[in-house]
Amino acid sequence: MAPAMWPLLQAGSLPPLAQPMIIGVALLYFAVVAAIGVWATRQTKSASDFFVAGQGIGLWTMAIAAMAATLSGFAFIGGPGLLYNVGLGAVFIILPIGVTGTLGAWTMAKRLRLLGEVRGLITVPDAIAARFQSRAARGLSAVAMLVAIVGYMATNILALGLVIDAIFGTGLTAGLWIGMAITLAYSVSGGILAGVYTDLFQGGVMALASILVFIYTIKVGGGPAGFAGTILPADAPFLAPWGKMTPLAALSFFFVFGIGSLGQPHVVHKFYMLRDPRKLKWYPMIMSAAIVISQLLFIGVGLAVKALVVRGELPPLARADDATPAFLLRFTPLLLSAIVFSGVAAAIMSTVNSFMSVGAAALTHDLPIAFGRKVGNELLWGRISTVAISLVATFVAGMSGTLVAFLGIFGWGLFASTLVPALAIGLNWTGATRAGAIASISTGLVVTLVFETLAFMKVFSFPAGVTATALALVSSLLVFFVVSWFTRHTAASTLSDDVRFVMEV
Amino acid sequence: MTKRMAIWATVFATCCIALAYLSAFIDGGTRWGVWCMVLGLATMVVALMALGVSRRGGGVGALAVPLAFTFVVLVGGFAAALLLPSETAGARVYLGLPLRAALVLYGVGLLPILVLPLSYALTFDAMTLSEEDLRRVQALGAAHAAKQGRAGH
Repeated sequence: MAPAMWPLLQAGSLPPLAQPMIIGVALLYFAVVAAIGVWATRQTKSASDFFVAGQGIGLWTMAIAAMAATLSGFAFIGGPGLLYNVGLGAVFIILPIGVTGTLGAWTMAKRLRLLGEVRGLITVPDAIAARFQSRAARGLSAVAMLVAIVGYMATNILALGLVIDAIFGTGLTAGLWIGMAITLAYSVSGGILAGVYTDLFQGGVMALASILVFIYTIKVGGGPAGFAGTILPADAPFLAPWGKMTPLAALSFFFVFGIGSLGQPHVVHKFYMLRDPRKLKWYPMIMSAAIVISQLLFIGVGLAVKALVVRGELPPLARADDATPAFLLRFTPLLLSAIVFSGVAAAIMSTVNSFMSVGAAALTHDLPIAFGRKVGNELLWGRISTVAISLVATFVAGMSGTLVAFLGIFGWGLFASTLVPALAIGLNWTGATRAGAIASISTGLVVTLVFETLAFMKVFSFPAGVTATALALVSSLLVFFVVSWFTRHTAASTLSDDVRFVMEV
Repeated sequence: MTKRMAIWATVFATCCIALAYLSAFIDGGTRWGVWCMVLGLATMVVALMALGVSRRGGGVGALAVPLAFTFVVLVGGFAAALLLPSETAGARVYLGLPLRAALVLYGVGLLPILVLPLSYALTFDAMTLSEEDLRRVQALGAAHAAKQGRAGH
């Protein structure tokens, strides 16, 4: 595994938060989520409802749901901690939001939504299979997604267990299972419909919490100039654009999280759900604004805690992940702390729910079709698969923190390296070939697996700025271009007329 | 033509980024490797946007301006961070940050948000998806569904 990316995962416990106000707000939050789940269950009558909300979601709901699925608990806990630790270089993880909303809209939103219109597609591997007319490409991408989803879900369920343990004092193991059970309850019954509407609510909680906390960070920090005035004399490199990282390491974050965001299936899958494709017109604006608002806490808390530590108003943190809880519990009203901790749970649950849906679709829809079969009752098997994937991920989450962290990084890398070439480029370039897609997906799988595992086993370590995820993404892109070029005479034969029309429209 | 240029630009960008990573294995990194990464990142972002924008052999039209703006902002922001002097204790701050950090955070992070989503919305009907385009896609969808239905019988 790439050590440079370890801090991106929430694996350490949070300080105890069990206070009546925090418990009360958390219970209220879970009650709203449960109510949405009950409503959605009554609306879910088919596999299309379960996996793509019957293509009946409005723009605001889709954009906020995509934002909520994009942000995990890292934005609230791990991110501010990382900024406190390494300085402004940590911001390179979220810096690409200036371009990714519109980049995703131009490269994929329209194409995926229109492919859904033409072919009735419901999954990301569906799109890859339609584009390249290849069961192998579908199967490989589904396998990559399933492996990545279990790992990624495990890290998020672990984080959720930590939050629940901190709020209710349940102990980590009980926290894991309670968190999974709550998320599973509305996901398995209401499917993605429950997911997107809880995402809408959860996204609202996250945005509200982020704005309010940011205001407090400015106030506590002594105004916008207060941070710099305090930190610069004590630790000038902290406020350098790369922070305490090397320029290559910071720029590598931009590459992995910017370009890699195009291959996150739990986010791009939501394009299928939009009722009216022409509403995509305002998607980048809403998505970008929502993400910027939700990231205010990341930057504000990271800078404020550093300034407070420099001024001696806060003792140096023993662990970077304590930055947000330490700031909230000492410098904001208890009600706001309660909202933020519910926001953390919201961020994690919305991500987990999206993974459940995408994973269940890969298992019940894509893998059988890749082997030439079709599941009879996709709705029933979708629900069963959701339970199965969640159980596996929760068992994995209960293993050692290091292994779970490894799987989380592994998951992100797999998504990026296996899906970006075939999806983001393949849907826009008629010269891409089936062989190129299969080779790039295979390369992403193998390179990620080999490099991450060797690094995890400490067989070797990468130089600063280099991660297995980045190498896998670069390798799969290069392989995609090279193999497509060598097999370019086959490009036309892998394109059906309707798909070509969607790619050229 | 635009698609082809965008693809070659993406290939070029991928090679630049690969070179940047390879450079990290040489004595802990090189200056030229970082510049390769800057050039590769900016080129890849803009080339992928151009790839998505262009359709039916057409170009990027009026969107050439925001795309060029994005390239300049990315290269300019990162270059400024590499070339300008390091921060010192009494350094002047801009919107709460020293100059280099402000250029990166507000320039690279926020300026494109003010330009790109608006450009996308303003050109959506003409360059992304018109009513007529959608009607033709829906007709294709209906034809495909009917074909599937017949195949099912």
